[in-house]
Amino acid sequence: MERSASAIWHGDLKKGTGALTTQSHVLNDTPYSFHTRFEDGAGSNPEELIAAAHAGCFTMALSSQLTSAEHPPSTIETTATVTMETTDDGPTITKIHLSTHATIPGIEKSTFDELAKKAKDGCPVSRLLKSAEITLDATLT
Amino acid sequence: MDRKASALWNGDLKTGKGTISTQSKTLNNAQYSFHSRFEEGTGTNPEELIAAAHAGCFTMAFANELSKAGHTATSVATDATVTLEMLPTGPTVTKIHLVNKSEVPGIDKAKFDEVAAGAKANCPISRLLAAAEITLDATLL
Repeated sequence: MERSASAIWHGDLKKGTGALTTQSHVLNDTPYSFHTRFEDGAGSNPEELIAAAHAGCFTMALSSQLTSAEHPPSTIETTATVTMETTDDGPTITKIHLSTHATIPGIEKSTFDELAKKAKDGCPVSRLLKSAEITLDATLT
Repeated sequence: MDRKASALWNGDLKTGKGTISTQSKTLNNAQYSFHSRFEEGTGTNPEELIAAAHAGCFTMAFANELSKAGHTATSVATDATVTLEMLPTGPTVTKIHLVNKSEVPGIDKAKFDEVAAGAKANCPISRLLAAAEITLDATLL
């Protein structure tokens, strides 16, 4: 299965501007720039899209693990925070932290924690991003 | 610098559904589901968001490296295609292919190829996604 997206850029790094479009058109000529990526300008940037991909993947994987364990969830909500630091290699994503809150009828906390860890370790995006340290806080409500 | 996104999921894997939102609100409760991820349903999926992050990052890095080499680009356009394959370890992103077409006044093809290869190797998202094979076709227009 293939999934695609495209980017276009005009000009140099600091004064130039770009736009991002995904196959589904969820992003459709969405503006991005140095300002939206490395400063606090309004617009998207690759790091928040990585955060979105990871939050989306982990959440779906946790639903899958819970369903397989016969505890289908009512609700799972996850925030992914991507940390970019300037290291000797240049701007580098060093950490991704997942914070998840789930409502699941009738599950024990220990089972939940075990399945949350499995989802963190096994979801396709976690396996793809393994050059970053990935951490998880999982809260059962 | 931290960048965030969140996902919300209701229900089991196959009949449940979710939404993804980014800090910038570029994605604002964007729909995703088993159908939009593993089949051909309407909506986004983590893999196209990875493709968007990578296309965006490579394109910005390439524009920057071209400027530093004294050849500011008129336009740099990149498509990223993420391949998800079913392996014994589960669904796995095995490959990301970048196809670039750029308009760069006064650069020769050899220098262009060298700068493109450097941007592919060094952009922060390429370094993050090191678990996948990343390939590049770059065309100087």
